[in-house]
Amino acid sequence: MLLEVRDLSIEFHDHGIPERVVEHVSFSLDSGEILGIVGESGSGKSMTALAIAGLLPRKKMNKEGSILFEGEDVLTMERKDLRLLQGDEICMIFQEPMTALNPTMRIGRQVEEALRVHHSELDAAARKERALRWLENVGLNDSERVYVSYPHELSGGMRQRVMIAAAMVGGPKLLIADEPTTALDVTVQAQVISLLKRLNKEERVAILFISHDLSLIQQISTDVCVMQKGRIVEQGSVEHIFERPENDYTKRLIAAVPRVEL
Amino acid sequence: MPQDRSEDKGEMKKYANFNFICGAVICSLMVLMALVSCFYTPYPSTAMDASLKFARPGLMHIMGCDNYGRDIFSRVMEGIRNTSLIALLTVFIGTLAGVIVGAVCGYFGGLPDEILMRINDLLFSFPSILLALVIISLTGTGTLNVTLALGLAFIPSFARIVRSEVRKQAALDYVQSARILGAGHFRVIFAHILPNIVPVLLSSVMIGFNNAVLAEAGLSYLGIGVQPPEASLGRMLSEAQSYLFTAPWYAVFPGLVIMLMVLGFALLAEGMSEGNG
Ligand SMILES: Nc1ncnc2c1ncn2[C@@H]1O[C@H](COP(=O)(O)OP(=O)(O)O)[C@@H](O)[C@H]1O
Ligand SMILES: [Mg+2]
Repeated sequence: MLLEVRDLSIEFHDHGIPERVVEHVSFSLDSGEILGIVGESGSGKSMTALAIAGLLPRKKMNKEGSILFEGEDVLTMERKDLRLLQGDEICMIFQEPMTALNPTMRIGRQVEEALRVHHSELDAAARKERALRWLENVGLNDSERVYVSYPHELSGGMRQRVMIAAAMVGGPKLLIADEPTTALDVTVQAQVISLLKRLNKEERVAILFISHDLSLIQQISTDVCVMQKGRIVEQGSVEHIFERPENDYTKRLIAAVPRVEL
Repeated sequence: MPQDRSEDKGEMKKYANFNFICGAVICSLMVLMALVSCFYTPYPSTAMDASLKFARPGLMHIMGCDNYGRDIFSRVMEGIRNTSLIALLTVFIGTLAGVIVGAVCGYFGGLPDEILMRINDLLFSFPSILLALVIISLTGTGTLNVTLALGLAFIPSFARIVRSEVRKQAALDYVQSARILGAGHFRVIFAHILPNIVPVLLSSVMIGFNNAVLAEAGLSYLGIGVQPPEASLGRMLSEAQSYLFTAPWYAVFPGLVIMLMVLGFALLAEGMSEGNG
């Protein structure tokens, strides 16, 4: 088991009254697999993702349960051990490719960041070579030009590809994708999905794919967790859930999936 | 109407460029004078000549001579150099310390931030020149002490600007992206966030430089800054005030140069910040 989330609860207590945003969430992900998490906005998907990535502040929130990554608890491990995982073993891409890249840094440097942090044995030329290879691998053919560009010179789809390249350059075992296509238009969405599927197959990277759109999950994953108000209300194979949804909320999500009439 | 607005914008841009160009011209003139004064002034700046006492501006002495018969133009050149050197060092100290304190406070927040910023507010509520005076009263006068005192006095305002900018940036997604790639907090602050606040920092550095020029002139005017016989613009003004009516040029030229210097940097800062949108 690569990732095992057990009975995870997250509680804010920065505004006086504690507020539970994730409650008793459990799921697991094998290496090389893809798991979808679906739920409406505000259901706690991003909080769960950030917790797994070790990005939640340590003090301002209460966290219960455990998040085992290769058997070690992300929630309680030393900060420096966590940093060794981040960028090298666990990576994450975000919803807004517009703001997720640093506007004043060239694309090349941003793609190389994980290498700079984790692979100090590589020299500049080796880093550049790897970065270029990854830019091409995510479908940015004009990699030399992209390498020296700034984010504002690229389109939304290209930026999301850059984010994926930056995440994959360190060869992670787990890629968390938090609504990676929500800000993109439909054709680009489909491209990004098929890119993620290819990376999953070729690089054997496990993907936790988060979306509010069940039809997207259907395209990429065989297993799904349905989240509502911080809880997992249904869990199983996408096929099963489409055929025999047990929960009212799941039924509504399915009803929201547009049917393609031919 | 949309069309009008776009025209407005073009107009603004032209205006911003105009500011920038004027500022750049004035500032380069100042820098040139300061640089040239290092190896050449028309006359030695401290050479006295009793026969030239209060000589009017003319071909030989374009700004006239002072009460000791020294060439005012040569002294103004040297004054620009001394004044801007002190201002530069002041801003350097203020910015360096301000960036470190402000960035760390803004990024980490919490109790240390709260405490440091309250102290900062306290210091900020005094005019920096007053603060500098207090520090000088402890360290004594002299160019170096004045520079240090001004530098320290400038830290709070820089720290405050940097803190608020870093806070804004720290909430943006790219910071999360950098963190998930394994970058540590200090790497995030100094390699990722800091370059994004450079535009804001640059224009506050310019304004800070102006304030430092005025503060140095003020302190020298009070007799605490640059010590005679070395020239400083503020000191020249203070010496000139006794002869305001007999030799008005003695006061007018250094005063004019201070004004120009401040104007030049203000225009440059204005032009730059408008250019940045
Ligand atoms: N800083 C915060 N303080 C308190 N509550 C928050 C904070 N950030 C997010 N939340 C709450 O946490 C809940 C879950 O948010 P999130 O995980 O972002 O949802 P999703 O990603 O599923 O749209 C939301 O109800 C939101 O209001
Ligand atoms: Mg979200």
